Amino acid sequence: MQAIEALFPAHNYTLLAFIVLLPLLGAAVNGIFGKRLGKEAVSLLALSVMFVAFALSVVTFLALGHAQEGEEAARFIWKGWEWFRLTRSDGTSITLDVAFSVDALNGTMALVVTGVGFLIHLYSVSYMAEDAGYHRFLTYLNLFIFSMLVLILGDSLPVLFVGWEGVGLCSYLLIGFWFEDDKNAAAGKKAFVTNRIGDFGLLVAMGLLLYYTGGLDWSSIDNGAKNLLTPVQVWPLGTHVPAASLVGGAFEHWINLPRYVSAATLVGLALFLGCAGKSAQLPLYVWLPDAMAGPTPVSALIHAATMVTAGVYLLCRLSFVMVLSPAAMATVAVTGALTAMFAASIAFAQHDIKKVLAYSTVSQLGYMFLGVGVGAFSAGFFHVITHAFFKACMFLGAGSVIHAMHARIHDTDASQDMRNMGGMRKYMPYTFWTFTAAWAAIVGLPFTSGFFSKDEILLRAYTSFVKAPAAKLSDGGGGSMEVFSWPPWLGAALYAIGILTALMTAFYMTRLYLGTFFGEFKGWKIVKNWKEPEHAHGHDDHGHGHAHHEPGVPLEGPTPHESPWQMWVPLAVLGFLAAFAGWLNAPLFHIETMHHWLEPVFAKASRSVELIEGAEHLEYAFLAAAIAAFAGGSGIAYWIYVLQKGKPAQSFVEALPGFHALVYDKWRVDELYEEYVIGAVDSLAEFFAWADKWIVDFLLARVSAFLVGASGSALRFIQTGRVQTYAAVMVLGLGGVGWYFVTPRVEAKVDANDESGVYSVTASQGLGYSYRWDLNNDGKWDDQERFGSKTQQSLNLDVKENRTVRLEVKNAFGRTAVRSFNFARPVPDRSGATSRFDADPAPGRRTGEVRALPKPQEMK
Amino acid sequence: MTVGNVFFAVASLVALFGAFMTIASRSPIRSAVGLLITIVGIAALFLMLNAQFLAAIQLIVYAGAVVVLFVFVIMLLGPDAGDGEGTVARARVARYGAGAFFLLLSAAAGHLVSRSGLTPNRFKIAPVTHGSVESIGTFLFGSAVIPFELTTALLIVAVVGAIAVARGKPHVRRQSKSASPTARMFHGPLMARDAQRPLPTKAERAAKAAGGM
Amino acid sequence: MSSLGYFIEHYVVLAGALFTLGSIGFLVRRNVLVQLMSIELMLNAVNLMLVAFNRQHMADQNGQVFAFFIIAVAAAEVAVGLAIVLAFYRLKSSVQSDEADQLRH
Repeated sequence: MQAIEALFPAHNYTLLAFIVLLPLLGAAVNGIFGKRLGKEAVSLLALSVMFVAFALSVVTFLALGHAQEGEEAARFIWKGWEWFRLTRSDGTSITLDVAFSVDALNGTMALVVTGVGFLIHLYSVSYMAEDAGYHRFLTYLNLFIFSMLVLILGDSLPVLFVGWEGVGLCSYLLIGFWFEDDKNAAAGKKAFVTNRIGDFGLLVAMGLLLYYTGGLDWSSIDNGAKNLLTPVQVWPLGTHVPAASLVGGAFEHWINLPRYVSAATLVGLALFLGCAGKSAQLPLYVWLPDAMAGPTPVSALIHAATMVTAGVYLLCRLSFVMVLSPAAMATVAVTGALTAMFAASIAFAQHDIKKVLAYSTVSQLGYMFLGVGVGAFSAGFFHVITHAFFKACMFLGAGSVIHAMHARIHDTDASQDMRNMGGMRKYMPYTFWTFTAAWAAIVGLPFTSGFFSKDEILLRAYTSFVKAPAAKLSDGGGGSMEVFSWPPWLGAALYAIGILTALMTAFYMTRLYLGTFFGEFKGWKIVKNWKEPEHAHGHDDHGHGHAHHEPGVPLEGPTPHESPWQMWVPLAVLGFLAAFAGWLNAPLFHIETMHHWLEPVFAKASRSVELIEGAEHLEYAFLAAAIAAFAGGSGIAYWIYVLQKGKPAQSFVEALPGFHALVYDKWRVDELYEEYVIGAVDSLAEFFAWADKWIVDFLLARVSAFLVGASGSALRFIQTGRVQTYAAVMVLGLGGVGWYFVTPRVEAKVDANDESGVYSVTASQGLGYSYRWDLNNDGKWDDQERFGSKTQQSLNLDVKENRTVRLEVKNAFGRTAVRSFNFARPVPDRSGATSRFDADPAPGRRTGEVRALPKPQEMK
Repeated sequence: MTVGNVFFAVASLVALFGAFMTIASRSPIRSAVGLLITIVGIAALFLMLNAQFLAAIQLIVYAGAVVVLFVFVIMLLGPDAGDGEGTVARARVARYGAGAFFLLLSAAAGHLVSRSGLTPNRFKIAPVTHGSVESIGTFLFGSAVIPFELTTALLIVAVVGAIAVARGKPHVRRQSKSASPTARMFHGPLMARDAQRPLPTKAERAAKAAGGM
Repeated sequence: MSSLGYFIEHYVVLAGALFTLGSIGFLVRRNVLVQLMSIELMLNAVNLMLVAFNRQHMADQNGQVFAFFIIAVAAAEVAVGLAIVLAFYRLKSSVQSDEADQLRH
């Protein structure tokens, strides 16, 4: 240990670079040379890279454990290089570095990511062995692990965002791995686009954090976090709503009242939007069930264990920011609870085994956010870990079952349909026992990992709440707002939803478990004269390019059998962890290892989290409720599907066919989005297409060209080529010129001097011009109405006197023209104001003004 | 009523009559004769204005050369010189309208001038040297020698140019088959539509003239 | 009537009338030869004007010399113009100015 500490000091922990870059190396080599290296070499490289990364994570974890004693959180940092520098207008600058850091929170998570990742790599070696894109698959897996490690080990939000986008990319690549089928490609696209909507939230959050706290790495945000407690005027944009003046009166007054939200709430909501996209919460969960189009190891790794938990990790990492806004935390908790229940309801009616597991993932993620939202960060994070174990185990187990089914049925959809399964425990014992362990964990069988983690979340949902950081926030400019305070009934409501969802989870998971492993195998159809297809069809040939089989035609193939060791060994490891990892944090038995381990990381946040009175006494009551939920849910499922052979479910479907169809169609949320969101975008696109066709192409291009052509055709008639025509036109021009010379024009220069009162008019000369003036406003021409040659006149005006001067001009041909000039001498301005501009208004009282940027804090 | 008045009246009437005949005659030879009459009238007026040298020059150059040229060309053209019946009168409205407009303009100008109220001054007695050959000659070879020399050059250029333009090419007119305007520019006709309209041969023209008469 | 011919105004009016006749002839007639003759008319009218003004302001001989040059140039112009008419006739076998519309659109 001392050797490690000597080699890798805490402020320059180079092992982090190795942990992150090794999977990248594997991805690069496999990606570029994979085809040439061959399957064994590719597998060896991918697996060894993962194993070494895992080993180094273990070393780091132990080093962290050694370094963390007491209240202070241990933290190892490795600084790579300066990424970019933002310079403010006043010369100060903010630097963003590529740096990685590890503390208790992401050290644990790195263990999970690399460990579970390694197991899934091992599993894929066997599962994808017959696939033509084998090296591509392992490349993408390694690339994914690299991105995930960048995400969790990043020392700042931009580095995290790089990883965030990287895992989104790999998710897209892996979901659409079998991209020749349009359905898979579309699912990949859907995942990416939905994620993108969430990423917008994360970018907004980054911008806000940069503005208010003056930095984007964890320490800078921590130092500047208190700047977030300022109200931001979100309504009206600007100073008032102009349209409201049409209505007027009290409504106008009400709608123009400024409404404030604290900056911390904005940041929290924006961050949560990012998490909703990445971690599949309402309303952005729609990509996760479709993501089951990818190979099963992908579902296990990305959509169960690691990527979808990135959102929870982000909220845990920025826990000290989130707790500054009880409103945002309440939103997180409520959304998590609702997602959990909503997804569980959909899972009731699904037949595809992977879809049930997908909705179960969404539901469990809802639990995690519920835990994080009420302030139980370590409880939520613990559920992340246990969920990784049991959900990955379930997915891999499902993959094993599908593997066996596919060998028999050769049809992707049918081999995943639970109605074709049954009685698998006879054929696949290892899979069966490991799946049992995972099932026990998720339904909450006492003393399994899921039991402990879910129970703690449910308890904390009821008892824990986030305290407001201050009663009122003011911005120093006159705006102030009340801070949202945690409603007293919220805990009870969340708990009610949570316990109901636990009941539902137990029900549908037991339904899945019983349907797959118990009863009689329904995919069993023996047909005489079954012929071997042309290509060599070994029992582990599960190429996916097979076409769908015609319904009604009996299927034939080998008996379902257990999978090779590369597949069931990871299952065994995960199953073991699913069963027994709960003992890491069992508050019931006063074991709080995980909690103590994570405590220093959440110390700052925990100061804002409080328990209601009498929380200590509720523990046993809630324990009983949790066990009741488990027993009730599993019992009902057992009764319906085993004892009654599924008849109550059948009659329910027959009695309420519409309702069942609605639930089976996932409450038609996808259709709703298609109709309104995508429909809106489509309408906009159609409008632009119409505008392009009719405005740009027609009006601007064709009509203008037509106008030019038409005017050209019209003008062409003048060009007859005949001299006589041109001469005739010249005569017309001659007429015009002659007219110009013959008419007199009155032009005069006026010189007005307001101060002295002298105004002079100077008439311009012309050929044979003579002038006649009328200076004294009497309407008659002066000088006995004679025309003279005096061209300049000047007059003196008194103050406030008004006079009109008229001038008549006659040219040599005797034609005349008249013009009049108006003069008024204004009152001289003696008020003494030296400038036209008002003095600046009184400072402070301004609404809608952008706050000055707070000075950046000293960084330690 | 002195001789001068009568002379002026007669000369101006003659000039006007000649001008009218020039522009209004159907036959070009009559127009040429009208021009000749006008020139003679103008020459008489020059005499009235003490421009005896100029009157002589007018008669020699204009009446003796220009009108003769016109007559030669009319003779060369033969019957085609006049407005034959084969031609279509185009744009009659525009032409007559332009002519009327010009008439209107000049009437307006005349009217304006008459209103100008300038007091008329009778001609003063002219010195003997005014308009004499010597004075004009002195001026020509003195202050105006440069324009004089340039006019000489102009005359030479005009002679050469007239010969060059009038001589033309031998009357071989082949139908140009080439479509490109550049090629046609060299061997004519310029416009493609003229290639389709071959010029009438001598026999055809004679037939047309004979038929037209 | 004893003043006829001794005032500049009479010559101005006469020259104006001749010029107008010449212009009308040019604008109205289609025959190229007649148009050329009309141009000669106009030139003559201008000559008359020049000489008449020189008779009124007899400081030097500018007007008459100017008219002299006009006559010379007019002669040259007629020579070349008639050559062009002949070339045109060769092309179109007609002397109607309507036929000379090669520069038409």
